[in-house]
Order: sequence, then structure tokens, then C-alpha cells
Amino acid sequence: MKILHFIKDNTLFIQLNGELDEYTANITRNYMDSMISTDGWQQVVLQLQDLSFMDSTGIGVLLGRYKKLKTRGCNAYISSPSSQVDKLLQLSGVYNIMPKIS
Amino acid sequence: MKLENNIQPINYMSISVQALPINESFLRSSVAAFCTQLDPTVDQLNDIKTALSEAINNAIIHGCDNNPNLSITVSTRISANTVHITVSDQGNGIADINQAKQPFYTTKPELERSGMGFVVMESYMDTVNIISDKNGTTVELTKVLK
Repeated sequence: MKILHFIKDNTLFIQLNGELDEYTANITRNYMDSMISTDGWQQVVLQLQDLSFMDSTGIGVLLGRYKKLKTRGCNAYISSPSSQVDKLLQLSGVYNIMPKIS
Repeated sequence: MKLENNIQPINYMSISVQALPINESFLRSSVAAFCTQLDPTVDQLNDIKTALSEAINNAIIHGCDNNPNLSITVSTRISANTVHITVSDQGNGIADINQAKQPFYTTKPELERSGMGFVVMESYMDTVNIISDKNGTTVELTKVLK
């Protein structure tokens, strides 16, 4: 798992590259939490075009980050998921709280 | 394992590994590669990989309780146009299978587990069968690839 981030126009962009499963869940969780604890942005966009695989462990990671963002009053969005990730996000209802944007 | 008469030996594969999450990606890729002999679509392969990942997570985290001294076994068999996958562990078994299958149910909420594992397996595969006792758990997944 390789994670990149940048801030632009009050938005924190986090890009996940690789596979988000039980093995990579901890590093992803810790990295995202360290990003979320910074200042200088008001919303988060998760860029998932290069996330080649995710299972329900990844859903747990995303929901955990969503709760932290909610306590800060910040919204989160998901962009460009692969078809495998997209299907799982739909099934689990994640888009209801972290909408998909284009 | 005894193979049926009309099945060639090449159509059965079994992999045993230590119960470590680092092995999950290898297991997913291996089973997916094995299934390509049925010429599946990309979406079908993704469904298999996702469901398999859920079964392996359960075996490692719940069955083996993250004990790397234990092992898990993933066996894949291809019969006509159906893929049969079993994921086995020698852990403590599932106390209440019906409860385990409920959406959002998890015995480890402190670990941010979503409780979606069996929901994913049942929605992505054609059949999901769970055999569990105090000596371990085997999850059987099947999918027809047309």
C-alpha cells in the first residue's frame, strides 16, 4: 500500500494505491489518522483509482475514519473507485455517508 | 482428497500457509489464477477474490485468533463450470453460526471490523456453507462460471 496526499482548495486529497486488506489496514488507518489530525482543509476526497482491491476490512477502516471526520464536522467523498471497490462500497452502503463524486 | 472420475488432477489445488495477513494477497492471486482455466470475466474473478478474502480474514482473525503458529488451508476444485473453494482453520470454531452471518455482527468491534464478511460472501458467491465445531471451521464457497 502506497498512500499519497495533498491539500488543494480547502480539500485534503488522499490517494490509496495498492490493496486494502487485513495486511495493509493498520498502515492505512494510521496514515489517514495522521492526515486527519492536520489543519488547513475542510473536507476530504479519497481518490481510489489506483486501489486495485478492497475487502470488508477496508470498509471498517473507511467507516472508522468517517467517524473521526464527523466529530470534526468535515465531509468525506470518494472518487474514481475501480469496479471491484465500487461494488463493495455500494453493497456496504458506504456511499450513503461518503458520496461518490466524479 | 478423492477426486471424481471425470476430474483431472490439474483441477484441484490446495495451499496451506501460516495464519498471517501478509499471505492473503498471495492466496487471492493464486486462487484467481487457478480459476482462469474456466475463462471467467474480470467481474467474476473479482467476486471470487473478494469473497475469498472475507473467508480468509475470518479464518485468520477469528478462527486462529491471529496466532501465526496455526495454519489455514485454502483448497480450490474445478468441476465442469463450477469453482468450489474451501477455507479451513483449526481454531475454536464459531459459537453461533446464525449470529455470525448477521450484517454488522462482529465479535471484535474494537478492531473496527465491519461485520460484513458473510454478507459479502453470500452476495458474491452462489453458495456459502459453514461447518464449524470446537476443532475448527471450514467455509465452502461455490460459484458457477458460465
